Amino acid sequence: MSATQRKTKEEVVENLHGVAREMYKRMSKGEAPTMTLPVRTKNNIGFDEKLGVYKYGAKRSIRDATSLGSARQLLRALHIIEFIEEMIGSEKSSTLREMYYISEAWGHGKFGSQNESNNLAEDLEIVTKCLREDFKLRPEEDGARMIGNLTLNERNRRGEWMRINARDDVGDSGYGVPYNVESEKIELVEHDIDFIMAIETGGMFDRLVENGFDEDYRCGLLHLKGQPARSTRRIMKRMNEEWNLPIIVFLDGDPWSFRIFASIAYGAIKTAHISEYLATPSAQYLGITSDDIEAYDLPSDKLSSKDVEALKAELSDPRFADGWWQEQIQMMLSLDKKAEQQSLAKYGLDFVTETYLPEKLAEIGLGL
Amino acid sequence: MARKSSGMQQASISEFFEKNKHFLGFDTLPRSIITAVKESVDNSLDAAEEHRILPEISIEVYKVPGKKDLLRLVTQDNGPGIPQKSISKVFGSLLFGSRFHTIRQTRGQQGIGITGVVMYSQLTTGKPTAVISKISREGSAIRVNIGLDTKKNKAILSNEKRFSSDEVNEAKGLHWIGDHGIRIETLMKAKYQRGKQSVHQYLKMTSIVNPHASIDFKAYDEEGSIIDEASWPRVTDELPRPVKDIKPHPHGLEIGTLQRLLRDADVPSEGEGANTPLRYFLRHTFSSVTNPRAQDIISKAGLTPKDKPHLLKPDQVNDLLAAFTKVKLTAPPTDCLSPIEDLLIKKGLSKAIDSRFVSTVTREPKVTNGNPFQVEVGLIFGGDLPGDQPIQVLRFANRVPLMYQQGGCLLTKALESVDWKRYGLDHPGGRGIPKGPAAVLIHLASTNVQFTSEAKEALSDNVDVHDEIRLAMLEVGRGLRNHLKKQKQKAKAQEKFELVNIILPEIHDKAIAILDEEPVPLAPVITRIMNAVFLEEKLEWEKETKVTRASVEIYNYTARPRAYTLLSTWPEREGVTMVENERGGRREAKGLWAWKLETLEPGTSTTLTFTVGGLTKGDWSEFDIFFRGAGDIIGATKMDEEILAEMLRVEELEAEEEEVVIDSAPPSTQIEIDMASVETTPEVIIKEDDADGTEPDEGWFGVGRGEEE
Repeated sequence: MSATQRKTKEEVVENLHGVAREMYKRMSKGEAPTMTLPVRTKNNIGFDEKLGVYKYGAKRSIRDATSLGSARQLLRALHIIEFIEEMIGSEKSSTLREMYYISEAWGHGKFGSQNESNNLAEDLEIVTKCLREDFKLRPEEDGARMIGNLTLNERNRRGEWMRINARDDVGDSGYGVPYNVESEKIELVEHDIDFIMAIETGGMFDRLVENGFDEDYRCGLLHLKGQPARSTRRIMKRMNEEWNLPIIVFLDGDPWSFRIFASIAYGAIKTAHISEYLATPSAQYLGITSDDIEAYDLPSDKLSSKDVEALKAELSDPRFADGWWQEQIQMMLSLDKKAEQQSLAKYGLDFVTETYLPEKLAEIGLGL
Repeated sequence: MARKSSGMQQASISEFFEKNKHFLGFDTLPRSIITAVKESVDNSLDAAEEHRILPEISIEVYKVPGKKDLLRLVTQDNGPGIPQKSISKVFGSLLFGSRFHTIRQTRGQQGIGITGVVMYSQLTTGKPTAVISKISREGSAIRVNIGLDTKKNKAILSNEKRFSSDEVNEAKGLHWIGDHGIRIETLMKAKYQRGKQSVHQYLKMTSIVNPHASIDFKAYDEEGSIIDEASWPRVTDELPRPVKDIKPHPHGLEIGTLQRLLRDADVPSEGEGANTPLRYFLRHTFSSVTNPRAQDIISKAGLTPKDKPHLLKPDQVNDLLAAFTKVKLTAPPTDCLSPIEDLLIKKGLSKAIDSRFVSTVTREPKVTNGNPFQVEVGLIFGGDLPGDQPIQVLRFANRVPLMYQQGGCLLTKALESVDWKRYGLDHPGGRGIPKGPAAVLIHLASTNVQFTSEAKEALSDNVDVHDEIRLAMLEVGRGLRNHLKKQKQKAKAQEKFELVNIILPEIHDKAIAILDEEPVPLAPVITRIMNAVFLEEKLEWEKETKVTRASVEIYNYTARPRAYTLLSTWPEREGVTMVENERGGRREAKGLWAWKLETLEPGTSTTLTFTVGGLTKGDWSEFDIFFRGAGDIIGATKMDEEILAEMLRVEELEAEEEEVVIDSAPPSTQIEIDMASVETTPEVIIKEDDADGTEPDEGWFGVGRGEEE
């Protein structure tokens, strides 16, 4: 069963029961209960040629109840399973943080930290091949906001579909993307744009909105808010697939932006079990590139030691293995400089919309 | 400028004080109050000890309102009191007292005594010190104010008043102090402080090494509110052993001392004294010199018994001194020493510092340069003690706390010479004071404590003492290591128990609830997970029957039946007996009992219990279990038969020695020492083992008494 096909409630519950079933079977054989899951490190990440994204490899680890720590993990997993089943039954959802607090009542199964509960929820996703959304677990993080001439249907709290145009029906802050963007919650209705531009910082997003860039260039603007949330990546993926819109990514020019792009285009290590579900392999990196820093003579900062470390790690990251990326990384290292999106304001507030973006978009054939 | 003669005198005694204030203990304002408290408390403890009274001491320090650095000190004890006619001598004349001329262990060796306090008070405030004394055989108490006539070095008494209990008038300074005791009230320039060097710390340390004393302390600010307060109640009714005066021992005598002794020789003019004056002198002046030994010394010195001691020429004195070292002599008697004893150190430490583990050791008395000495060490670990700082070092000489010059002190150096990393403390570079949640107490009891300086705050180097302390440290260190290892094992076993007894059943229940399945038996799962034999032991004090109950539970979590003999340590000694012991068993060695257990089937457990009487609460709170049988037991140690054999051998030898003692009468504590060649008795062999640190890892033999609280 592929993750991209959504599961019914019954399937989700069945898959969750599979976890409890493994433990039960072992115990009835007189053995310590176990939970089998893929190894979640860089070493077990490989490129999936068919999907064009990075996925977990075949390495499996077995968590068994022969140590107190592992036994507690198994008990917690069972508590989560029971909790999710209850939520599915009562059509409720909770945040991961709420679940962490709810676990206070789980006695020996309670979590030691929020991190523990987040990780275990991810473990269950991986083992059951379900999504967090299937589990009715919400992340704490903000979804993105969007502005542009595109229309969506969103099912509201009363269960009614609301039609929203992200240009005409929203204020200056745009349309807020909810945590669940699956078809039962969001329908992509229609659009009259040529591409989606994903922007790293709020300042730049607001600048493009103020300058009317979305209308001038027939695009949808999307604020990533740093490292994009799952729902942000998922809705980009859907717009890319269902509307066939190119995803153009406009970020700061530093090593961390490169990583943001990699997670959008190829998948993140932490969520490699659902890469094909979240990653948009056709996404394009528009800037700020290392060349831009030189070409536009942008105000820049010296690389910190952490920046240098990150760049060096990227050189050996399979996701940056192609020639263009290797060049960009090497160049940034030799320039010893990084630049922010908003450094373009050096040439005035309209420079980004009148000069920089038109020039960069023309390079990739999206110019006017 | 002409000065009056009395003024000159006044100046000279002030000068004396000024010049010597650092070793008198009055060099700084914060130290002055500590010294005053110390002189008073030392006197109280010494007097109570001599008269076999359990001391109750109270100390109050008041800040005097409106005056900077002016303190009022009030101390009171329940000691014998001082007869009226002796008061002026005790408080008024410097260096009064007979103990300066005798050889035995006293607190009063250090400091100039209470006279110094009276003097300091007089010099800094011009006020006399008020003393109230009550002795038991008189119905009334005496109140005297004591000033100092600095010219005559004598007390000036004023306001002398005898009063009975119904004449008490506190406003007039007439306080009733019970049937017997002393109350001292004095005013002095001094500063009250807190911290490592404070009255509080001094009293706390004093209480640790004087567990037989009850000490109460209060400090008040100018408004009369309490700013510091502590109470250290008595934890034992056992007074320190009475100490005896001894004569000097020839070994380690200095030429000057010998010359003085020869010059002052008091030889009777008739009988033995008249015929053989030198031999008489040797026999009666020194300890451990018998008639044959005196004869030996005389001939080795090329002298004759008829020589007259005070007429010896310098060369002959030298020869005599040299002859002393050529003759084998018994060690001086050590009953002049009064060790605290390890059990009381443990109690003292426990009451003053909250901790998890205490290990103490009292070494046998030894002799260095003709002076008997004895080393005691206590180590406490865990509890509220901070883990990231150097450990606390509590130094004591003859039960008196040493609070200054820690770094230059022999006691500290000996502590630092141990590689503490091996024993579970953090010891960066193996140098300096180790770090960890621990405190170490070191007590040197000696008839002749050698200090590095007149300040009497640090002990000077001495190889013999250093070695003894080191050996004692190794012993408590092993106790600590053993404890930590056990803790670790216990924690591990605890985890496994929690796993199979709590978590696993919950996993099972939750899984069958989710799946709506039938329960499955967990015993095979538990056996699979544990796959070991576990042992848990605990000690409990039973208040009603006054016994300590030891229980040992052993679980066979393996797939095979197991058969074991368990051996337990217990504090076997005089007056301590096993009360209940249903399983019988047999005595394997001193302090080691063995039981053969029935075969344990897989998945079953059994409990072994016994109770021990003759102890008080807290005396015994950690013990070791050994076993004989196949495989391992988590929580117990495999019996090392070689160690057991050695124990039995030593025990046998000790028994033989005891018999010899009964035959030949000399006290058993005497140790034969031979300066030319070291005679190796079995006892010594064991101690050398200790020194080399070659003790077996699992060894419990020789481990200091350890306990957990």
